[in-house]
Amino acid sequence: MIRHGLRIIIGALVAAASVTGCNRGEKAGRPGPTLALVVKTLNNAFFIEMEKGARAAADSLGIQLVVQAPEREIDVEKQMQIVEDLIERKVDVLLLVPSGSREIVPAIVKANAANIPVVIVDTRVDAVALKSANARIATFIGSDNVDGGRIAGEFVAQKLGGKGKIAVLEGIPGHETGDSRLRGFRNAIAKYPGLTIVASQTANWERDQAFNVAQNILQSHPDIQAIFACNDVMALGAVEAIAAAARTKDIAVVGFDAQDDARTAIQQGRMAATIAQNPREMGRLAVISASKLLRNQIIPAEQPVPIDLVK
Amino acid sequence: MGTLGGLLILCIGLWIATPHFVTVSNLVNVVQQSTIIGVIAVGMTFVIISGGIDLSVGSLVAVAGITFGTLAQANVPLPLAAAGALIAGTLCGAVNGALITIGRLPPFIATLGMMSVARGIALMLSDGRPISGFPAGFRALATGTVAGIPLPVIIMLALYGAAHFVLTRVRLGRYTYAIGGNEEATALSGVNVRAYKTMVYCISGFVSALASLLLVARLNSAQPIAGISYELDAIAAVVIGGSSLLGGSGSVVGTLIGALIMSVLRNGLNLLGVSSYLQQVAIGTVIVVAVLVDLALRRRASLPTG
Repeated sequence: MIRHGLRIIIGALVAAASVTGCNRGEKAGRPGPTLALVVKTLNNAFFIEMEKGARAAADSLGIQLVVQAPEREIDVEKQMQIVEDLIERKVDVLLLVPSGSREIVPAIVKANAANIPVVIVDTRVDAVALKSANARIATFIGSDNVDGGRIAGEFVAQKLGGKGKIAVLEGIPGHETGDSRLRGFRNAIAKYPGLTIVASQTANWERDQAFNVAQNILQSHPDIQAIFACNDVMALGAVEAIAAAARTKDIAVVGFDAQDDARTAIQQGRMAATIAQNPREMGRLAVISASKLLRNQIIPAEQPVPIDLVK
Repeated sequence: MGTLGGLLILCIGLWIATPHFVTVSNLVNVVQQSTIIGVIAVGMTFVIISGGIDLSVGSLVAVAGITFGTLAQANVPLPLAAAGALIAGTLCGAVNGALITIGRLPPFIATLGMMSVARGIALMLSDGRPISGFPAGFRALATGTVAGIPLPVIIMLALYGAAHFVLTRVRLGRYTYAIGGNEEATALSGVNVRAYKTMVYCISGFVSALASLLLVARLNSAQPIAGISYELDAIAAVVIGGSSLLGGSGSVVGTLIGALIMSVLRNGLNLLGVSSYLQQVAIGTVIVVAVLVDLALRRRASLPTG
């Protein structure tokens, strides 16, 4: 039995997909380099900002840019599949924000084997895993998360006058980004004997989970005066939980990433501060570095992107 | 085979649309990318043919992977650690089976519970952290090739061969169809329905654990958060492959094609540089359309004969 319907519909989908592909700049036979930016997910404003920065730089340089991401921020396997597919597509430089600091190493090995330079953005690759796999990256572009955590800690210490109870919302355990922010924050707080972290729990980078975790913490520690969340998405979840408990006036929430929503919440007095990384700048620098690599120019192994406190 | 036609049309479409699709390395790539879901979907086919559903497979991937990682870290020889993971997966499947047959819980509820329990156990065992860095000998499970064919692909194909044999030639397979078709009649004809149903969930647990070993080898890391939403991909592969969620019909050959359709589609959309948002729309549409067409054709085929 021939199933015409299925064939027609799948055929139409492929045709639609290929048209979209062409619109996005894949003109067959056209020379000129193509860069691929693979981020953790495109449902987080941070990475959308990064995409904007990268796209603006690519447009001004006349370079083609493909941006892809797994559906879920933590799906390293899917990210690896995307990288494999881009290697097949023979992109010229791979700009990669790893979903997992160690898990992504086999994908980097494959890019190395295909002679595609890898620029790592925002999240570091585990140095030991990289070395033991004999893998190479061209450069790392990102902010020092430990330093960002320290700045957040110093701000909380000042805000509370060096005395009080603090709760922390962690990212996914084992993720380099969150772990570093946490380390910087804890080190800063440890310098003030009057400050104690009474609760420190993960909300897996997600807003709804942060809402619930913050609500639970408010039950068990009603006397906390500050919450530090390792990203703004979680901070905003905590802000809502605190508002629901009508405690906005007496609990200071500090986030990380300086997303638009967080900036608005700070202006409205619902949130105390956030740490501004500059994802647009990261995207821009990544594309600039790639274009230098394509012209065989030497680029530094580390390119720090500055951090600011927004309050 | 209509699904096979769909797969071929998809491949031909991509062949025309992008020069990067039909290359030896990309085709190897696509099949390799289908192995993890493909392996899980073998067990899911048994479960769905028996009229059930298994929502716990993604979490079982995590539990089995973490079991393997924990044992390996404690210097247990790797073959034993792998056996431990397979046993852990099978045991979880046995608990699912017992809850369904002895506890008389609907499969949806029993495996929904297991989904959460197993995820929690994986997080507890690992303290929420991934376990990384396995010897090259084990990683060969993902990186090794035999005559140019990646080892995971060979393992997957062998598994499909075995599953096809069981479903078509072995009593367990025939009873799986019978239970899915009419459970009461099967029980009345003297078949030990409880035992065979439990076995079906054990198979699902076992292959989930097998998939976890492939995943750990591929990423060189056992993650407690691995496998989230894999159950949906596996169910999609089975359903695209022509099995009915009502039970009693289906085949692993169809499932294999279903798994390949999913991975060809993802691969093609990546090669074409389609936006990540649109990719999700395309994948969802293909799942629904494939089943719609399948149902329509089946209705048409069954009308003339009665």
